[in-house]
Amino acid sequence: MKNIFKNKIAIFVFIFPTLLIYTVVVFYPIVQTLVKSLYNWDGINLGKFVGLKHYIKLFTRDSTFRVSIINGIIYPTITVLYQIGLGTVIALVLSSKKIKGSRIFRSIYFIPSTLSTVIVCKLWLAMLASDQSNVGLINRIFGLLGINYSQNWLSSGLSAIIVMAFLTAWQGIGNTILLIYTAIKSIPQAYYEAAMLDGATSFKAHIHITIPLLSETYKLLLILIISGGLRAFDHMYIMTGGGPGNATSTLTYMMYKSAYMNGNFGYACAIAVTLVLECLLCTLIINRFVARERINF
Amino acid sequence: MKKIFNIIKTAIIYILLILYAIFAAYPLAWMAFNSLKNNEEIFSTNPFGFPKVLRFGNYVKAWLEYDVVRYFTNSIIVAAFVIFFTIFFAMMFAYAISRMDFRGSKFIKNYVSLGMFIPVQIVLIPLVILVRDLHAGDTLISLILPYVAFELPFIITIFYGYLRSIPFEMEESAAIDGASVYTTFFKIIVPLMKPVIVTCGLFVLLFSWNEFIIALVVIGKQSLNTLPIGLVKFQGQFSTDWGAMAASLMISSLPTLILYVIFSKEIEKAVSYGAGIKG
Repeated sequence: MKNIFKNKIAIFVFIFPTLLIYTVVVFYPIVQTLVKSLYNWDGINLGKFVGLKHYIKLFTRDSTFRVSIINGIIYPTITVLYQIGLGTVIALVLSSKKIKGSRIFRSIYFIPSTLSTVIVCKLWLAMLASDQSNVGLINRIFGLLGINYSQNWLSSGLSAIIVMAFLTAWQGIGNTILLIYTAIKSIPQAYYEAAMLDGATSFKAHIHITIPLLSETYKLLLILIISGGLRAFDHMYIMTGGGPGNATSTLTYMMYKSAYMNGNFGYACAIAVTLVLECLLCTLIINRFVARERINF
Repeated sequence: MKKIFNIIKTAIIYILLILYAIFAAYPLAWMAFNSLKNNEEIFSTNPFGFPKVLRFGNYVKAWLEYDVVRYFTNSIIVAAFVIFFTIFFAMMFAYAISRMDFRGSKFIKNYVSLGMFIPVQIVLIPLVILVRDLHAGDTLISLILPYVAFELPFIITIFYGYLRSIPFEMEESAAIDGASVYTTFFKIIVPLMKPVIVTCGLFVLLFSWNEFIIALVVIGKQSLNTLPIGLVKFQGQFSTDWGAMAASLMISSLPTLILYVIFSKEIEKAVSYGAGIKG
C-alpha cells in the first residue's frame, strides 16, 4: 500500500504538468514584470536600468494616474453600494418563508451573471445610445414617459463611470444575492426563535442577528468586488476607450495603453506592479477590519 | 385591519421583486426580440415588444456574413482544450499532493495555491512577449496555456478538498490486489470525482467563454479571435444592421444561457465555490 504512494516516477508524472505550466505562465512573468518595471523597455530590446524612475513619474507627473486612482475609488464604491446594499435587501426578502417563488426570482436575477461582459456592454451601448440614428431604448423610455431626461450617457467622465459601475453591478448582483442567500440559509433557525420570543420584529431581528452573522460573507464580497473594481478594464475598453479624454481611465487601461499604444513596456510594468500592490493593500485593510473572528454555528 | 396591512405589504414586496426581475431580464429579452426584427421595426414601428414577423434571416446573416461562425468555432476549441487540460492536470496534481508521500509536497501545494490571488494584470505584459518569442501568437495555444495556468490553482484547491473527504480504504484494497497507482487513479478516483468534475468543468467553461483581456492582447491574428474579441473588434461593418448585430450577440450568449438552464444548480454551486475559495 505505502509503496504505490511513494512511487517517485508517478509523483513526477502527476505534479510535473501543473508545475511546468504554472511556473512558465504565472510565476516567471511576475518576476519579469517586477524586474522590468525598473528598466526602459520597448518590448523588444531591454534598455537602460532606470531604477524607480517609472514609479516616480507615475506618482508625481502623470495626470492620467490621478484620474485612474479616483476612478478606482468611485467605481468600486458604486458597485459595492448597489451589489451589497440591494443584494442584501433582496436576499433577505427572498429568504423569508412568506415569499413564494424565491427560487424563480433568484434564477432570473442570476441571468445577467451568465452573460459575458462584452455582451452586457454591447447590449447597454445599444440601450443607452443617444443619437437619432440609434436605438437608444433608455432615452426612448424617458421620452415616452414625458420626462425630459434624455442625454448622452457616456459623454462626461463622471456619468460614464457611474453608468459602467452600474452595469457591472447589474451583471454581478445575481452572484451576490446567491452568496448572501446561501449564507442566510445556513444561520440556525433557533437564533430567530429566541429573538421572536423577546418580541423582536423581523426587521429588528435581521439588523441585530442576520447582518452581523453575515460578516464573513461581506468580507468575501468586499474583497471580490473592490479588487475587481480596481482592476476594471473591459467596460472602459469597449464602451468609452478610456474617454472622453482620459476621464474613464483605470490602472489596467493605463497599462494597456502605455504598452500597446505607446510602446512603453517598462512604464506599463510599473503600472501593473502599482495596481497589484493597491489590490493587496485593500485586501489587507478589509481583512483587518471586517469579520476578524470566525463565526461557528 | 392588521391583516389588510399585511396583504398590502406582501403585495408591494412582490411588485418590487417583479419590477427588479423585469429590470434584470428585459434587456436580454429586448436583445432576443431585436435579433428577429429588421431596422424599421426596431427604430419606429415596434421598438419594445415581441417581433411581428420572425426574421430568422438575421441569424443566418450574422453566422455566415459576419464571421460569427469563425469566432464561435475558436471559442469552442479553446474552451474544450482548456476544460480538458485544466481538469486532467488538476486531478493529477491534487491526487499527488493529497495522497502521495514526498518531500516538499506542502511547499509545492502552497506555491501553486498562491496563483488564486494573482491578478492577471501582473503577468500580462511578459506573457505577450513570451508568446511572441515562442512564435505561438498564430495559434490558439497562446490562449489555451494561460487560461489553463490561471484556472489550475483554483480547480486544484477544490479537488484537493474533495479528495481529502474520500476515505483511503478503497485504494488500499485495490493496492493489495496489486493495482498500480495509475490504475487506482483512473479506475477508482476519477469515477468518484464525477460530480465535482462537472461543477468545475462548468466553472472553467464560463471563464474561458467570457474572458476578455488575455484574449485581447495575446491573439494577433483576426482569424483566431474568440467570440468576445470578435464581437468588439470586427463589428464595425454592420453597426447599422441592428437585427444582425443582436443576432450575433444572441448566438454568443446562448451556449452559457442554455447551460445555465440545464445545470443551474451546478453553476450556482460553482460560483459560490469560486467566491468562497478566492476570498
